[in-house]
Amino acid sequence: MTKPRNKLRLATLVALSLLSGLAQADRLDDIKKNGVLRVAAFDSNPPFGFIDPQTKQISGLDVDYAKELAARLGVKLELVPTNPANRIPLLTANKVDIVLANFTITEERAKQVNFSIPYFASGQQFIARKGTLSSPDQLGKLRIGVDKGTTNEIVLREKYPSATLVAYDDTPFAFTALRNGNVQAITQDGPKLIGLLANVPDKDKYEIPPFSISNDLIGAGLPKGETRLTEFVNTSLRELEASGKAQTIYDAWFGPDTKTPLTRIFRIGDK
Amino acid sequence: MLDELLAPKYLGWLIEGFGVTLLLSALVSVAATALGLALCLGRIAPSRLWSWPARAWLSVFRNTPLLVQLFFWYFGASALMPEGLLIWLNTPHHWDLALFGVRWPSFEYLAGFFGLTLYTAAFIAEEFRSGVRGVPAGQIAAAQALGFTPLQVWLNVVMPQAFRISLPPLLGQYMNAVKNSSLTMAIGLAELSYASRQVETETFKTFQAFGVATALYILTIIVIELAGQWLQRRRPAPGAAGA
Repeated sequence: MTKPRNKLRLATLVALSLLSGLAQADRLDDIKKNGVLRVAAFDSNPPFGFIDPQTKQISGLDVDYAKELAARLGVKLELVPTNPANRIPLLTANKVDIVLANFTITEERAKQVNFSIPYFASGQQFIARKGTLSSPDQLGKLRIGVDKGTTNEIVLREKYPSATLVAYDDTPFAFTALRNGNVQAITQDGPKLIGLLANVPDKDKYEIPPFSISNDLIGAGLPKGETRLTEFVNTSLRELEASGKAQTIYDAWFGPDTKTPLTRIFRIGDK
Repeated sequence: MLDELLAPKYLGWLIEGFGVTLLLSALVSVAATALGLALCLGRIAPSRLWSWPARAWLSVFRNTPLLVQLFFWYFGASALMPEGLLIWLNTPHHWDLALFGVRWPSFEYLAGFFGLTLYTAAFIAEEFRSGVRGVPAGQIAAAQALGFTPLQVWLNVVMPQAFRISLPPLLGQYMNAVKNSSLTMAIGLAELSYASRQVETETFKTFQAFGVATALYILTIIVIELAGQWLQRRRPAPGAAGA
């Protein structure tokens, strides 16, 4: 990023973006003209975006979507690594065209950026001993381990006030309590639970029942006001779902043959 | 300014947590005093059969962090228990007696009570021991010269004085029990500290949540302090002013 040529390009882009406010230049046209789609992705948040130890390239579920979008535009894909805090600045500073980095859609963020329709949902789910938990109706009668200070705790208490909540310092402690039988289930975001379960020696005894009690919807972040680009992403996502490509991408990271099998509850277009 | 205060619902949580803290500390104090007395007697017994196990207990429980001990009883010991017993301990039980119902406490409560009691008892035992050592040797010699049996020496001469000497440090241990009970939040017991953290998470009113909890802890300590002063005025320790 510090190469002089890049700096020059950046300066040009900044200048262009300042002009764009006046000239209503369209980002979608710019991308096609430049032949490059710049996408910000995580580089240390598997399986959404991480450096693949074999290829040394950023890969992951978000990256697969980025590749699909670039392919549909017929342009080259340029991945820009990001952390959670830089996602909005990268867009507002016009350093990337799209953010695909497990970006939860919130009202607050929507004031600063455009969001596509969601392409992934990270729901609050549960781990329980096999066969003990099959529907959310049972939650009210259970003792459930939660992580202290998380929204999971608040959501669970609001929706199932009769459940007994026991709060632990972190998820591994909660899981130990589940293994010991102090609680009958523990709750966290589904992808986090499956990551935890993947490293447990006696994981065959536990399961993540295929339901969630809340959904964090994940969408692509786009520059504010870029309607045509947003429409393009939305249409592409719907078509990826219709063609089964979205399922293929999901299965590559959360499918039954992966280390982290998680039943797909959310589909693109669901509300 | 009004929205800076905690809603009644959250104050309710704090009061409920305070109740758990008070009951737990009171039960721990009673049980640890009885256990501490037994430990003290074991520790000063002339026979090694008694004194060595007591020494071992004191060194194990006084020299390891309470938090680790609580984790051990809650996570560690429960992993060793037979599954049937553990399931029984973790299921709510309820017995209806003639006038009121008795509810079996949660496993968090049991582990917290157990861990805190064993820990506090070790400290109380040492307070008692220093109380016993504080009784002048001349008193014992005088009692023996008067023809008291060894048991009479203990019950009528040593113990009453030892109790009075150890009262102030004993109250200090009860205060410690109240403060130490906050560590049980780490094993999920919904006492005052746990409740204040929970209120903070939901309301983001950090100062208010922890402020109320702090005030309640201070209040408890002051009450114990005043009770101690009152007790000491009534029965001053031997050698203290007024004796």
